[in-house]
Amino acid sequence: MQFSAVADDRGALAAALRRRDPDLLDALIQQYEYRLFRYLLYLTGNRETAEDLFQETWVCVMDRGHTYNGRASFETWLFAVARNLTIDAYRRRKPEALDALDGPEIPAGGPSPFEQAAARQSEVRIHESVDSLPAVYREVLLLRFQEELPLNDIAAITGVPLPTVKSRLYRGLEALRREMEESQDA
Amino acid sequence: MPDPHKRAQSLLDREAVEGLADADAAWLHEHLAACAECAERVAALSAAIRQLRLAPVKVPANLAARTQMRLYLRVQGSPRRMSPGLVAGFALCWAGGMATAPWVWRMFEWVGHLTGIPEVWMKLALGLWWGVPAAAAATLWSMERQKEMQ
Repeated sequence: MQFSAVADDRGALAAALRRRDPDLLDALIQQYEYRLFRYLLYLTGNRETAEDLFQETWVCVMDRGHTYNGRASFETWLFAVARNLTIDAYRRRKPEALDALDGPEIPAGGPSPFEQAAARQSEVRIHESVDSLPAVYREVLLLRFQEELPLNDIAAITGVPLPTVKSRLYRGLEALRREMEESQDA
Repeated sequence: MPDPHKRAQSLLDREAVEGLADADAAWLHEHLAACAECAERVAALSAAIRQLRLAPVKVPANLAARTQMRLYLRVQGSPRRMSPGLVAGFALCWAGGMATAPWVWRMFEWVGHLTGIPEVWMKLALGLWWGVPAAAAATLWSMERQKEMQ
């Protein structure tokens, strides 16, 4: 069976998820390994938490795959599952929503993934600027510019209306620009 | 007349978020060609977005394989849910068996009288009457589940 073809056919994908098709799940985990982990890492700012949530997301996909109806794309549904699990995890840890999440913490054991890649000073500055953004802005910026998702999909993932997504994107860009200017001045 | 630099900044954001109409895009590019300050802002924002898009992330070793193993172990350990139809079928069979038990026993008793077989053997036969089909069904279901896991 060609899994890429199945992934493109939402109806077939939904049916395979209802069957908990192990081969399909394996293929999807491989396919989304990098993007899902990157999203969770930037959202939480912690590698261990991101890794736990990555696994929890796929457990959830297996257990609740029957709820995927194929109306939205699979990746929209997948990222929404991951986001909800992240919010739940943080609510368990402290009774606050994603809106109140702090910026990503830099692991004490070494440089963050972004810093490892950022050999130049300007890249480090951008990293710091993104980190310092409020979580609600960081999240939509990541989904729009990192995952390159359409605005409607971002609205579906975050569960907010399209105008709110746009407003958060504009404010996020404004905040990012301000942060970058401040770090440049500093 | 609105500040052209503010307008340029607003259009830059809109271009990044949802795209621009042709007229706005033309105005913006004309402005950027003439304004070094705004062009610098564009470069900074583009660099930020590019970095966000391209910054490589090191995925933990064997993350996919470990996740696949976790799912596999979960499937192995979790009892398979029976379909509602199967559960209803089992319930109906059980209720039917209980309701007809007195008549079935009378039939066994009558056969016992007729053939002279001791009552204890007839009771054993009555037990097997229900036990053997149930055991066969359970074995078949178990074999089916094993096959699915493989």
